[in-house]
Amino acid sequence: MSRLVLKFENANLREVPLGNHPVTIGRAPDNDIQIDNLAVSNYHARVYVEAGSLVVEDLNSLNGSFLNDIRVERAMLKDGDSILIGKHEILVDQVHNAVTPAQDLRKAPAPRVNETMILDTEQRRKLLDAAVAAGERSQLSPERLRVPTLTVLTGRTDQKEYRISGKLTVIGHSKMATVHLRGWFTPDVAAQINKHDDGYYLGRGDRIPKINGTSIHGPTKLNDGDTIDVGRVRLHFMYRD
Amino acid sequence: MHIQVGARTDLGRVRKNNEDCYSVDDALQLYVLSDGMGGEAHGEVASQLAVQTVLAHCRQSVNSRSTPIFGESSPDVSERTNRLASAIRLANRKVFEMAASDAEHKGMGATVVAVWVEAQRMSVAHVGDSRAYLLRAGTMDQVTADHSLVAEKVRVGILTPQEADASEMQSVLTRAVGTSAAVEVDTDEQMLVVGDCVLLCSDGLTRMATDPEIASTLLTSSSAQEAADRLVDLANEGGGVDNVSVIVLRVLEKSEGFFDRLKIWKKYSG
Repeated sequence: MSRLVLKFENANLREVPLGNHPVTIGRAPDNDIQIDNLAVSNYHARVYVEAGSLVVEDLNSLNGSFLNDIRVERAMLKDGDSILIGKHEILVDQVHNAVTPAQDLRKAPAPRVNETMILDTEQRRKLLDAAVAAGERSQLSPERLRVPTLTVLTGRTDQKEYRISGKLTVIGHSKMATVHLRGWFTPDVAAQINKHDDGYYLGRGDRIPKINGTSIHGPTKLNDGDTIDVGRVRLHFMYRD
Repeated sequence: MHIQVGARTDLGRVRKNNEDCYSVDDALQLYVLSDGMGGEAHGEVASQLAVQTVLAHCRQSVNSRSTPIFGESSPDVSERTNRLASAIRLANRKVFEMAASDAEHKGMGATVVAVWVEAQRMSVAHVGDSRAYLLRAGTMDQVTADHSLVAEKVRVGILTPQEADASEMQSVLTRAVGTSAAVEVDTDEQMLVVGDCVLLCSDGLTRMATDPEIASTLLTSSSAQEAADRLVDLANEGGGVDNVSVIVLRVLEKSEGFFDRLKIWKKYSG
């Protein structure tokens, strides 16, 4: 099952299946493939089957028809051939491939690697909506109405309980600390808690904190009910309503 | 705590001009990097204007506490971080207005990534796909989320990271400075620890080198400037298809000699 694919600047515009009747190409509206461009004659060329072969024939057009960059009047076509009419390209596709929406997306005007493009909000919404509808949701969940809190179990701090809000919570002696640790030798930043889209992560400062007795290796997500040890201070992490 | 800085920008091997721009303000501990876009060298104009605007606004706010905040402040982050985001929103407005003012500049824009350090706290703000990385205890993590179509698809689950890396659409951005009247700036804050290494870079580096290669270069360099130079070489060896810019920050203990620095490096990278 063959077809002709009409392309312009690497974008697929149309596909025309090739049956037994000839396919005409030109500027006039009664062509099978109409190309509304001044470089194209009213009846520019046609493609038909003759004795089992696919043939392209130029209809005495002004600017000519080019097969794989060579100007032709009449020539046989094979799979993968490219016919240039004006600035439009017509590809000969003799193996029928099912075109899925994902493939169409890739064949759409893809910018050259060295060119940066900005997608406007409408295009972006369309591209992402289609895919989101097709399947997986992102990990973003609606804002929790439960407030993350730290309760002090042991140790010298300025308060017994702290509400965590904001992207950064510092545990230490520093002026910037939310959980202010007392003591001469306490580091300014003993540990920190960072808020990400998917939860709160405990990270190191000058000390490596423990979660439920185990020292962390890099930022570790905090779960409801976890116990945090920073030096001699023990905190309980909990989500409250 | 002392920050040792190294920085470099390079044309790369393919481009005819450099549309990246960066600036380092040691006194303020403010570091800004921008990758411009738009044909006919307008990218250069956009990135320079963006960097200059961010610097000027931040400097002004330090000298004058009543400098207005541009756009909405977030209660989730500190005043310093809000100020940095305000600076990028202002840069957006300036580039947008310049682009609109004459037909020649239409469509120009830029990415911006900026880091501002106050005491031990690092504020990060960005728009676009230039990145900030944090290397701590031998592990490197990307701190910023790219505002690119492929990155959004990965976040939503349509593409795997590997597919994203192979995609033709990698340079399609979903947010940039200067392409619309208002832009949402992403922010983050982290406390820095002695031994940390922060990297700001344009995609000219990350398209040409892998994260492990980058991390390894940072870990095995003996100064921030050496790291910056080697990263640029790495990008060029990988093809140098785009302009490349990097700013490397190494967090050190105050005033040390060479051997002290080595000891600290080892202690915190264990």
